[in-house]
Amino acid sequence: MSNPNTTRRKVLIGMTAAVGAAGIPFAATPFISAWNPSAKAKALGAAVKVDVSKIQPGQKIQVSWRKQPVFVIRHTAKSLESLGQVVAKLDDPESLNIEEPYRGINNTRSKSNEFSVLAGVCTHLGCSPKYYPEMESKPWDSSWSGGFFCPCHGSMFDLVGRVYKGVPAPTNLKVPPHFFEGTILTIGEDEGVA
Amino acid sequence: MRLVSLLLLITFSSLGYAAGGAECGDYGDCDEFDARLLDNSSLQRGLNTFINNCYGCHSLQYSRWGRVAKDLDIPESILFEKLVFDPNAKSGDLMKGSLDKKASEEWFGVAPPDLTLVARSRGSNWIYTYLRTYYEDGSKQYGVNNLVYPNTAMPNVLEYYQGKQILGCKQVPSYASNGGVRRDADRNIITEEECGHLLLAEGSGKYTAAEFDTIIFDLTNFLTYVAEPVRADRERIGWFVILFFVVFTALSYLLFREYQKDYH
Amino acid sequence: MSSMFLKVFDWVNHRLPIVNTFERHLSKHPVPKKVNFWYLFGALASVVLIIQIVSGIWLMMPYENTEEGAFASVEFIMRDVDYGWVIRYMHTTGASMFFAVVYLHMFRGLLYGSYQRPRELVWIFGMTIYLVMMAEGFLGYVLPYGQMSYWGAQVIISLFGAIPYIGESLEVWVRGDYYISGATISRFFALHVVALPLILIALVFMHLVALHEVGAGNPEGIDIEKHVDEDGVPLDSVPFFPYKVLNALVGIGVFMIVFSIIMFFFPEMGGYFLEKANFEEANPLSTPEHIAPVWYYSPYYAMLRAVPDKLGGLIVMAGAIAILFVVPWLDRSKVASIRYKGIFSKIALVLFATSFITLGYLGTVPVTESRKLMSVIGTVIYFGFFFLMPFYTSLEKTSVPPERL
Repeated sequence: MSNPNTTRRKVLIGMTAAVGAAGIPFAATPFISAWNPSAKAKALGAAVKVDVSKIQPGQKIQVSWRKQPVFVIRHTAKSLESLGQVVAKLDDPESLNIEEPYRGINNTRSKSNEFSVLAGVCTHLGCSPKYYPEMESKPWDSSWSGGFFCPCHGSMFDLVGRVYKGVPAPTNLKVPPHFFEGTILTIGEDEGVA
Repeated sequence: MRLVSLLLLITFSSLGYAAGGAECGDYGDCDEFDARLLDNSSLQRGLNTFINNCYGCHSLQYSRWGRVAKDLDIPESILFEKLVFDPNAKSGDLMKGSLDKKASEEWFGVAPPDLTLVARSRGSNWIYTYLRTYYEDGSKQYGVNNLVYPNTAMPNVLEYYQGKQILGCKQVPSYASNGGVRRDADRNIITEEECGHLLLAEGSGKYTAAEFDTIIFDLTNFLTYVAEPVRADRERIGWFVILFFVVFTALSYLLFREYQKDYH
Repeated sequence: MSSMFLKVFDWVNHRLPIVNTFERHLSKHPVPKKVNFWYLFGALASVVLIIQIVSGIWLMMPYENTEEGAFASVEFIMRDVDYGWVIRYMHTTGASMFFAVVYLHMFRGLLYGSYQRPRELVWIFGMTIYLVMMAEGFLGYVLPYGQMSYWGAQVIISLFGAIPYIGESLEVWVRGDYYISGATISRFFALHVVALPLILIALVFMHLVALHEVGAGNPEGIDIEKHVDEDGVPLDSVPFFPYKVLNALVGIGVFMIVFSIIMFFFPEMGGYFLEKANFEEANPLSTPEHIAPVWYYSPYYAMLRAVPDKLGGLIVMAGAIAILFVVPWLDRSKVASIRYKGIFSKIALVLFATSFITLGYLGTVPVTESRKLMSVIGTVIYFGFFFLMPFYTSLEKTSVPPERL
């Protein structure tokens, strides 16, 4: 046995290992990508349209988009005015902690000055909050001024889905992409995207 | 090693018998079709021909509108305006066709098959040949028959493109028993009449024979694409994968040789 | 930091034999230093096994084991699942490559007498693996529920009908229906993805344990343990790690090049790996014009067709596989390797391999008069190779292998 050329060996081991290791992400790609939503799931998760003209002021309807509840609320003029009054109780009234798609357009947080469009999924652990529009004393808040209450862990949100202070939910309810064409509301797409 | 080469020799000589049955029925061997899957304009023309002539009866039930638009580089707005006749169809919808299976079975005797995978089950060569070998045959329900698929249940939908084709006789070069073309004293080729050839009545269709062949080429090209939409991707990615393993093998071979010095 | 790691390692090692196992089976496991490429196919088979298990698990996720959904779900995988086609082609190419590699591995055994004393059990475990693989491949081929899945399964299940008295009710029992339906698919699915893979992995483990007990063979067919150094390590051996691992790595690299060429450029392999008729959904009312099994069963299929009797065909087919198990006791030669066996063994092996490949071809094409005759001749040669083995191996004149590698 002659003396092995250790430098050559080290270089070759390094190169072979490097090439082999570089292959791992490529080999893993199909297996990771295969878990993405399929074309079928994407087709089923396409945007939904809903006619909002039948909703009475103060009423909330629930729309299913991607099998997730989306709340569409038609606010009364009174409740829109009252939005400013709860600010002191809110954790993030300007929605600075989340990605707010339609910031600063309307105080409804939507693209409409009358309707709010909210993902009906509590930002705490995913339960669907209940709608209590009445301004009256509630077991969870004696000075309740209308909004959403989550039955799972007691998180509270105001009428446009802004989270209260001191509740488990960390952020405001999300606003899904949407746009209005007259009275037709499309949920799941921004305007302009075909 | 000698043993191995002997084995190979015997194997290949034993495999030298021809497979029975021509691929394209009475026509013999199919005409050769070489797909051009990167030629988007050919694929687009094929899609157009398909939608306007075939999609009324044949679905593409595993394929989605949006995928075809994306792969063929057609803006979705144009696809939906020009080629999607169902106003409720969405981009993610399957191309299920509009024909009621039950009703069509009554009309045609058999339901027109779904054609998503026909290029893989029949083969592209077969489609390319089949669609060009219709001929007049008064004894059949639709007045036409087909060389590749005798007694086909499908009428010759593209006849107004191609024109009338009949099965007739024509002069062909005659061959001597040794296989050579026979010639007379002036070196002219001696011909003889042979029947069973497809003869086209020139000018009876909208397009010339060459133009019609192109139309069928594009249509077959599209059906080849839709049978396996990933094929172009597959071949592109394949080169990189092979290159990777070549480099890896070369390096590991050098490493193996280096370590082999320890015991050689 | 490193002393902390060592402590943990020590702690584990006292409870789990890591170092021992590594030394016994890798770094100190002696393997013959001079072998040829024929000795790579075992490693390649384990690579394909891993490919099949991983791609199979991923295919299981979107696959639908129902009569209505099975065929469509395969097209769903090919189109709608991101990179689903990579995973499916990996699995279909892998299935054929598994058999290709295993056939070459088995041929190596015949070539160099790998089954001879003391490796009989290694051979028997290997043959059992082959048997389970054939069942596994068949069950998997039914799952896409294409025309060839349906009619192939129809033919194979009908073989049970050849068994006297219970045959017909056995057929119904296997299918769980009066035709190959969703009931059949879902039980085949369970067997294909859980039961048989478990058995296969257990058998591969036993195959390797038995091999490591007796040590690997070599193309000279000699016992390297006759010449050992003062520590009892054979002089003509090298440690498995790193030497044989590097050798295998080169083999795996070449194999993966071949694998990728097929998978990315010829996934249908001209209709031999994915048959044309299987791109059409199963139709119990219409048999395709030409039914052929996938290439890896076709030699046995040709034997089945060579016998003009249902039960007889089944017996011949089963016998052709069964007889492989007893090869260690049929070979009476004093030497193991073909290199030192006599002329009869050499001729017999060439004839055998030729007949096997010819039968394989005949099994994929439609029957004609002359092909049927060839199938009969092929079947006779196939069985002759085994039945006459005790005679030609003991009567022929062998040469003397060298003492050392």
